[in-house]
Amino acid sequence: MTDEYIWILIVLMAAANFAVRFPPIAILSRLELPEPLTRWLGLIPAAVMGALVAGEVFRPGGEYLLTLHNPYLLAAIPTAVVYHRTQSLLGAMLAGMLLFVGISALLG
Amino acid sequence: MPECNQTPTAHPDRMSNFGRGLRLGLPVFLGYMPIGMAFGILATTIGFSATQAVICSATAFAGAGQFIALNLMKAQTDIMAVVAAVTVVNLRHVLFAATLSPYLKGMSIGRQALLGFTLTDETFAVNVSDRRRGTSSGASMAGVGVIAWTGWVTGTAAGGFAASWLGDPSRWGVDFAMPAMFIALLVALAENRSHVAVAAMAAALAIGLPALETFGITVPTSWLIVIASMTAATVGAVIRQ
Repeated sequence: MTDEYIWILIVLMAAANFAVRFPPIAILSRLELPEPLTRWLGLIPAAVMGALVAGEVFRPGGEYLLTLHNPYLLAAIPTAVVYHRTQSLLGAMLAGMLLFVGISALLG
Repeated sequence: MPECNQTPTAHPDRMSNFGRGLRLGLPVFLGYMPIGMAFGILATTIGFSATQAVICSATAFAGAGQFIALNLMKAQTDIMAVVAAVTVVNLRHVLFAATLSPYLKGMSIGRQALLGFTLTDETFAVNVSDRRRGTSSGASMAGVGVIAWTGWVTGTAAGGFAASWLGDPSRWGVDFAMPAMFIALLVALAENRSHVAVAAMAAALAIGLPALETFGITVPTSWLIVIASMTAATVGAVIRQ
């Protein structure tokens, strides 16, 4: 891999990521969105998080892990409980990481 | 939003909102640090210099997209294919941007550019849940974005420049930092029954779609999140009508 390849990639990645983030904000914030669309958009946050969590927990690293000996699944449930009880993102994250290390060690 | 129409005398308010955003984003900062570190380590092992890794994180700020890029680069993939994959994976940001856009009416284009640039899964979720509590403003969103970006870049620098000294980050539970954040943010965002139902449907699709490969239907991994979430939201919106 050449140095040039890496630099070009860095520039293109920066451009691509800005392109999917900024223009939609700039354009859509200047429009009045119709009601069905805003209702649909209101469901997007929960939908995206649901899909992301499922992927991380049941297909970590892109491979299916559909067993009860899945440390991601075993740590996920108490992490959700910790967040629900404390409403602390930081607390849930640290508890989750700690649980994950412990559970992974127990599972061998 | 009211904050954007305020007179200059309201600046102290804006500063305190920015500070509140920094505090709200602190967990994201702490979560991004180790993941950024993992990126820095991985990037330098496949041929980036530490400086290049930091510049990549600072300008792309693309999270999972950056890891996917490294994987494809390792496989000697054509440069445009790498960029295309990263773009598709981050297409969900278009949805985030659209969701946030009604909150950002009347904001200057420069501030919108800053918010757009710092838009990630986590900053989006933190801002949306803050917005639903009625406390979010342009300044607080900027605070969340700035602290999150700082965590990502600092982590990458630590990983890139001190890789050999840090060792394997997975022993601190880094593999679960991102999932744990997503789980907490899911709980924060699933406020009512239709949210829970839509999240469950999106989850089922994200798990089930790759299995279609058995029947000869391949759903490209990079499209998975966008397809699953858009389908679930559409079904949810139609049913709730």
